[in-house]
Amino acid sequence: MSFFPLQAAVENVNVAMALAVLAGFGFGFMLERAGFGDSRKLLGQFFGNEMVMLKVMFSAVATAVILTAALDGVGLVNLRALGNLVTTETYLWPMIAGGLLIGTGIVFSGYCPGTSFVGMATGKLDAVVAYAGVVVGQVVAAELERMGTHTVMKDGLPVVALGPFARFFESGAKGHLYLYDVFRVPAAVIALAVAVIAIASFLFGEWVERKVGGDAAPASPSRPRRFVFGAMAGVALFSVVTLALPTGAGAVQRSAGRIGVEELARRLFEQPWTVRVLDVRSAEECKAATVRGAECVEPSTLAALQLDGEPASRDLVFVGAGDAAEPPAGALAFPGRVLLLSGGFEAWRGWALTPPTPPEPGAPKAEQDAFRLRSGVQAALTSLPQVAPAAPAASAAGGAAPKRKKAGGGGGCGG
Amino acid sequence: MVNEPKPYWNPYVAGVGLGLVLTATYLVIGRGLGASGPALRAAAVGVAAIAPGHASATSAFTKILAEPHPFLNYYVFLAIGTLLGAFVSAYATDRVRPGVTRGPNASIRLRLLAAIFGGALLGVGARLARGCASGQALTGGGLLSAGSWAFMLAIFAGGYATFLFTRRVWR
Repeated sequence: MSFFPLQAAVENVNVAMALAVLAGFGFGFMLERAGFGDSRKLLGQFFGNEMVMLKVMFSAVATAVILTAALDGVGLVNLRALGNLVTTETYLWPMIAGGLLIGTGIVFSGYCPGTSFVGMATGKLDAVVAYAGVVVGQVVAAELERMGTHTVMKDGLPVVALGPFARFFESGAKGHLYLYDVFRVPAAVIALAVAVIAIASFLFGEWVERKVGGDAAPASPSRPRRFVFGAMAGVALFSVVTLALPTGAGAVQRSAGRIGVEELARRLFEQPWTVRVLDVRSAEECKAATVRGAECVEPSTLAALQLDGEPASRDLVFVGAGDAAEPPAGALAFPGRVLLLSGGFEAWRGWALTPPTPPEPGAPKAEQDAFRLRSGVQAALTSLPQVAPAAPAASAAGGAAPKRKKAGGGGGCGG
Repeated sequence: MVNEPKPYWNPYVAGVGLGLVLTATYLVIGRGLGASGPALRAAAVGVAAIAPGHASATSAFTKILAEPHPFLNYYVFLAIGTLLGAFVSAYATDRVRPGVTRGPNASIRLRLLAAIFGGALLGVGARLARGCASGQALTGGGLLSAGSWAFMLAIFAGGYATFLFTRRVWR
């Protein structure tokens, strides 16, 4: 079960905007208390006399990592679901390039965009100019993205051909990818590693401060420091302990979830690279008709698919004849989520391959939308030939995927 | 404002405080913190004011300009809150000091040129990375997103690779 996030409260636009102002208030307050309104203080990170950027940023990230992992451990939060809701997907190469540009931008402007608000609020003209620069940079990036991007006709349909910058912008797409997927360990173990690395880097930073500044190095009162370090290590250790709980994240992760026919249809049409569908009925049944794009697989040959080498950002969906209680043996080696199609192929046939009855005139909008979706799916699936199964695994998460834009800008500033 | 500005908080305490704000934002709102969103929106509206057809055909701006109120947005209200919070904190500690922060040997002109140049790099970087140091590194980093951690390390690498070129601005 998970109680968070409390999104019901956020559906009212006034409440949502009031909460946004409140969150921003805390954000600005903490950045100002840390000293980030003064760009010289931020630059101390690079000149080596005061590692305040490392200390504040890493403490903040470590706090969030450790707390969310602990909440996941006791079952109050589903960490992956929260991550999918809040964070943007990973686009590795543009993110690394963007980081290098932002690092350079910070040493020239003296601000990262967030701290420039603090500079503005405390009356600094350079902060206003720096943020004006950010607006200019956004225009430059938008124009670069546009350059060379054009529409071509392919098989009688207009297709957008991306220019070089836009292609780079979309490169290295890994979907939602987390460090616990990359290292294949529970999030609590990563949280403990983050706590240890954070504390080690703080001690290293203080050592550099003493080397560079000598007596001028900032004093570091040991009491709050000891308290912060102790709390980080303590809570991180606690979440590792929760792995042993029967209800904790460790247990939940290794059982299969369920997916409904409607959600599967949406995923197959909108984000086909995020799912891999395996039909585990007998070969004849599967050959006759199956879910679009599904591979016909005998449960006994599952090991040959090397599921443990799949990217964890994809979900594995099993289609049986009817409702299956458990996935075939060996399926849980798959690093990502393992899902069973509710009702199996019979439910899929009934929902996606049978024409729906139109709603009464004047039916509620939700019902009409549902009808439109279902009849669209049905028309697309029954009037087109079945698509041959995609080549297994490979790079389906990136490359050939159609260009897509995330609604709402995800968790970033991009929105 | 004759009083001396009061000292800043211990950075670890301020960092944990920031982490608590971040975690609360995830849990209550289901979003993160950020700062470059309003700049993208301002860029879209600004370009649209000069060349409306051009702006709405620019893929980065299309969706924003299709909204009835481009500034009625989570990140814009977040920015308003950030300004308020920073002002209250600074006012209470006598740290509201209008001026231009710069090194002892830098002219105001040099400092402002560095600010707009650096700001433009921040803008391009934030577009590429789908967020800035707060929107991508803090928000995604706190939820262990692999891209955010690569981004965070790249920020430090970029800063260390180039800070010596900015000596005249800061030293």
